[in-house]
Amino acid sequence: MFLEELIRGLSLGSAYALLAVAVVLVFTGTRTLSVAMGEIGAFSFYAANDWRLDGLPLVGWRYGVPTMLLVACLVGAAMGLLIERFIMRPLVARAPLDKLIATLAIALSLALLELNLFSFDPIQAPVPFAQGTFYDVFGAELTSAQLLAPPVLLVTVGSLYAFLTKTKFGLATRATTSDPDVARLLGVKVNRVYLFAWVVGGLLAVIAALLTAPATSLIPFNQTTLLLRSLAGAIIGGLDSLTGAVVGCLIVGVVSTLFQATPLSFAGADGSILLLVLVTLLVRPRGLFGSPRAAF
Amino acid sequence: MPPSSRRPRQPGAPAIDKRSIVRYVGITLFILLLLSLPQFGTGADLIYKNLFLSTAIVALGLDVLIGRTGQLSLCQGALFGVGCFTAVQVGAAGAPWPVAFLAAVAFTALVSTIVGLPSLRIRGLQVAVATLAFQIFLISLSSTKPEIKGIGTEGITRPEYLESDQRYYYFGLVFLGLTVLLVHRIRSTRSGRMFVSVRDVEERSGSFGIASGPAKLLAYAFAGGIAGLGGALYALQIGTPNDVSPFNLQASLILVAITVIGGAMSSMGIIVAAFFFSAFASLSYIPTDKSTLVQVLFALLLVLNILVYPRGVGGSFTDLKDQLNKLVFGPAPRPSPRPETTDAVAAASNAMALRKTPRPLRERLPTSTLLVATDVTVQYGGVRALDHFTAEVRRGEIVGLIGANGAGKSTFFNAVSGLAPVTGSIVFRGQELVGAPPAIRSRLGLARTWQDMGLVRADTVRDNLLLAQAWMARYPAAPGLLGLFSALPDERLVRHRADLALELFGLSHLKDERLGDLPYGTMRTVEIAAAVSSGPDLLLLDEASAGLTPEEAHQLGDRFSALRDELGLTLVVIEHHVPLIAGVCDYCYCLESGALIAEGTPAEVTAQPRVVESFLGKGSIDRSTDHHVVVTDDLVDDAVEGSPVDDGLEVARA
Amino acid sequence: MTAPLTPLLEVHDLCSGYGKLQVLFGVTLTVGEGEIVALMGSNGAGKTTTLRTIVGQLPAMSGSVALGGKVVIGRQGATEDTTPSLLSRFLPKKAVTPDDLVTQGLVLVPEGRGMLRDLSVEENLDVGAYTNKSSSRRKELFARTYDTFPILAERRKQRAGTLSGGQQQMLALGRALMADPRIMLVDEASLGLSPVMTETAFNLIADVNRTSHVAVLLVEQNVLALDLADRAYVLEKGQIVATAEGQEVRSMQGRLREAYLGAGA
Repeated sequence: MFLEELIRGLSLGSAYALLAVAVVLVFTGTRTLSVAMGEIGAFSFYAANDWRLDGLPLVGWRYGVPTMLLVACLVGAAMGLLIERFIMRPLVARAPLDKLIATLAIALSLALLELNLFSFDPIQAPVPFAQGTFYDVFGAELTSAQLLAPPVLLVTVGSLYAFLTKTKFGLATRATTSDPDVARLLGVKVNRVYLFAWVVGGLLAVIAALLTAPATSLIPFNQTTLLLRSLAGAIIGGLDSLTGAVVGCLIVGVVSTLFQATPLSFAGADGSILLLVLVTLLVRPRGLFGSPRAAF
Repeated sequence: MPPSSRRPRQPGAPAIDKRSIVRYVGITLFILLLLSLPQFGTGADLIYKNLFLSTAIVALGLDVLIGRTGQLSLCQGALFGVGCFTAVQVGAAGAPWPVAFLAAVAFTALVSTIVGLPSLRIRGLQVAVATLAFQIFLISLSSTKPEIKGIGTEGITRPEYLESDQRYYYFGLVFLGLTVLLVHRIRSTRSGRMFVSVRDVEERSGSFGIASGPAKLLAYAFAGGIAGLGGALYALQIGTPNDVSPFNLQASLILVAITVIGGAMSSMGIIVAAFFFSAFASLSYIPTDKSTLVQVLFALLLVLNILVYPRGVGGSFTDLKDQLNKLVFGPAPRPSPRPETTDAVAAASNAMALRKTPRPLRERLPTSTLLVATDVTVQYGGVRALDHFTAEVRRGEIVGLIGANGAGKSTFFNAVSGLAPVTGSIVFRGQELVGAPPAIRSRLGLARTWQDMGLVRADTVRDNLLLAQAWMARYPAAPGLLGLFSALPDERLVRHRADLALELFGLSHLKDERLGDLPYGTMRTVEIAAAVSSGPDLLLLDEASAGLTPEEAHQLGDRFSALRDELGLTLVVIEHHVPLIAGVCDYCYCLESGALIAEGTPAEVTAQPRVVESFLGKGSIDRSTDHHVVVTDDLVDDAVEGSPVDDGLEVARA
Repeated sequence: MTAPLTPLLEVHDLCSGYGKLQVLFGVTLTVGEGEIVALMGSNGAGKTTTLRTIVGQLPAMSGSVALGGKVVIGRQGATEDTTPSLLSRFLPKKAVTPDDLVTQGLVLVPEGRGMLRDLSVEENLDVGAYTNKSSSRRKELFARTYDTFPILAERRKQRAGTLSGGQQQMLALGRALMADPRIMLVDEASLGLSPVMTETAFNLIADVNRTSHVAVLLVEQNVLALDLADRAYVLEKGQIVATAEGQEVRSMQGRLREAYLGAGA
């Protein structure tokens, strides 16, 4: 029973972690706490799925499920690019709270757009994400998406880590993260790093959405609610640490499944997450793995 | 001792400024529009118009938190719900609506205060995240426990005289009006000034005698109470809430959007934004299938608003007003942004009045030594910013604090202000300051300025002077809010003192200007005026010449002497540019890497090899020529001649 | 030594500040090819502001900066009469950013040494060579840097934030040289260093100047800088109050002392 819950919790936590990594990447790269990541992911997913069924707008091209995954990722990356270039870049020097409000406005617009552009009818779930098929892992029944989440997390975070540590642009990214002013003094094109953070952030948000967004109905702000759990994980782990985001989210995932099973139910899970977040913020604002600057 | 405020201070003041006519006409039109709103559209629209009133009320309360206090709360939607559920529960128990309303206001204020508790320890973004967590938690709680929402009860019922939706609209409008008055009232009271100081200069608000923690909680309680009022109004409209959508995360985000689009601290702008966000899309003119599109447009407008026009709807109202005024009355006269030269006689009498502070006699008794610092050490991690520093400041002296970058000069000021971790002892007029909360300093007679201007740039000059005297206006928040401030002697006193100080520094003509619009040099003068208005005995001036033009900097010495001679103040002055103060200081301390390396008269100190080395670098001594010795001798003579303090003091030092 | 050789960096009548706060009131100075120039001033004189404006971290209020004869900030008197093309009037004026200047051969060693604290010594140097495209040149530069600063080779894997002040200064200088600059602006190399370390740092700067012919603008409070300088300026309250060249530079101490501590003359 406990093992079952643990496995389910870890799988859930992995999905949160993907979104959390997106948040952390944008936060460390641009010092913006973005609450729009969830909706960027959801919007891309719904758009790609809608176009799969109705044909690409203007072109009318219909495609299958594998292509849909690719289209969703492209849409997510493109949204990251547009948001950075046209909304966040002009705000670069503004106060952190202003930037947060800007991402909040983006989240709001996207959620409302989803409602308006995409159908309310239960949308047809693409095959790999169809619910109802369960896989048994040590007694825990997992959907295919839940089963996929941990390996996907491992691959994405692993390749991101390799990119950041092994390539020249990765080095520039880390230099910018460490101190954008100094990086610029050394010739790093900091704006490109900002762009990179948002594009990859958008991409990760889509992957997270593919694994978590409800595939049978469209619930706006569902992703933002989920984002809160990811954010909780990222804060517990330390907002500027990839490791922290992953570990924090796994903790949140396990805690939330363990409490889900109790009579306290959903509110109990959110209650315990609230408590975890508050305790972290009050006792160790930088989180488990964060640098002192993570105490934003 | 309140001054006689009956003395006519502004002879022949115009009864009404003709330029405010445009403003009053605009406000009247706006009120008429609100009153006639039920006449437009169908009767079914009234439900949404009533919802709009509740939303506007909650948003106005939220603006006190976001716009005034700088706390981004993302759970105002949930608090709206808390107010609604409370009213439903209390109403279901059989209480009449006024009781239900009061209960909702009180309980929501309490919940909001709890939400605000983390803000005592964390800041900015972290507070936003914590409130986001509260939002999710509160809504989760209400969806798991339907009994909280009052499901299965009768709910709250409208009395007969409010049955019609149209009447209910006017009923709600009364509450909206009350909220607007309350929010406006807050600006001219001590509480409002406390909120702004928390927003803009939080860590420095202690030097105005403001404890930032209670101020924040008060702001949360206030915003929560207003959210409770909005919730209760909504509850009475609907009876029992059947879903939580008006209270969910989306609602919270929309509330933030309303305050941002409305424009911080503009009630009219916020009411307009609330109308468009909460009601407009649902009105019968808008086809149902287009209603979300309208909302999308507003959300995009929010993005645009942040990018291009941060002042929001309220800002465009102000611009419109200014344009109309310009059209009707011609361009507004701009006062000269520089201080005027002041009348010496008036200065003397003002100085007398400003020196009368409502301070217990015990704290006004003359002492020869004002400040004694003994073995003051400040340690930040591995860095010792101040190392066993010992100094003394006597009444009537101008004491200079000099030293190279990072010598620990400002650290000493921070230690005195209670903003640095200190060991050792700092005694101000017999009272130990180490370990005492920062906010008590102004009461004891200590005021300071900051290297980079520690006032609120977004407020007017006069408001800043009132803020600086926060310790003197000690009345509780409630009577101030209820509009009784004109009857409060404290408030009258600080306003009078502010006027005196402005006159003394030649700033009267600038009192209604926004501080941030003034040249930097004038801002620094306002800062000194503000510090003086708070009635100090000892004034700490940090980097007084920073940001002054070279000409202004050269007159600095005269200003210091004037502060001492006319106001009887004692000064401690930090100055990078030593020559500026060498002429006026009676005594001088030189710091290097946190340690005292020399003290004495300015001439003695600047002649000491260690001081020269500290400023010029090692090895500079060997190469110094005879020429400098001669020059230094000249300086000694100058200093003694120019020093208004007699030699006896110097002898006593030795 | 008389007039500067070929002027490399020309700052003309530069005014700048932070928002409403004007700090510089018309600073004019020149650094010639391969020269060491000292800009002396006490705290708050506007030294760092001068540098930050030159590299484009702060917008200039007026005045101009030219690098190698090419105007990078503002307009210069000489080029003012040439009418700008019609098109350029409608295009947004692109502000110069520090990273552009690095590619043009100007690099700033910022006040407080600007360590990328979370990165290792080697990674810091690597970022310093970011603008150098050729990998063989990067290898050469690494070799040269480790040769000049053996301590950095020893600690190449250590995190920069954990180095001592003197080592950080070495790293900051070494890192700046990795960009193959024509001119290096050094902001208070002596800050927080012991007298012995200060002298070492200055000697290293002189060596680097001799061996790789990099021009250096030393912005200093410490008079030791005068020992290396070919030319010196004294900055006081945002204005240049004294200039000296050649032999006169050494005798500027008295003037400096007056500027810092006052002489009542």
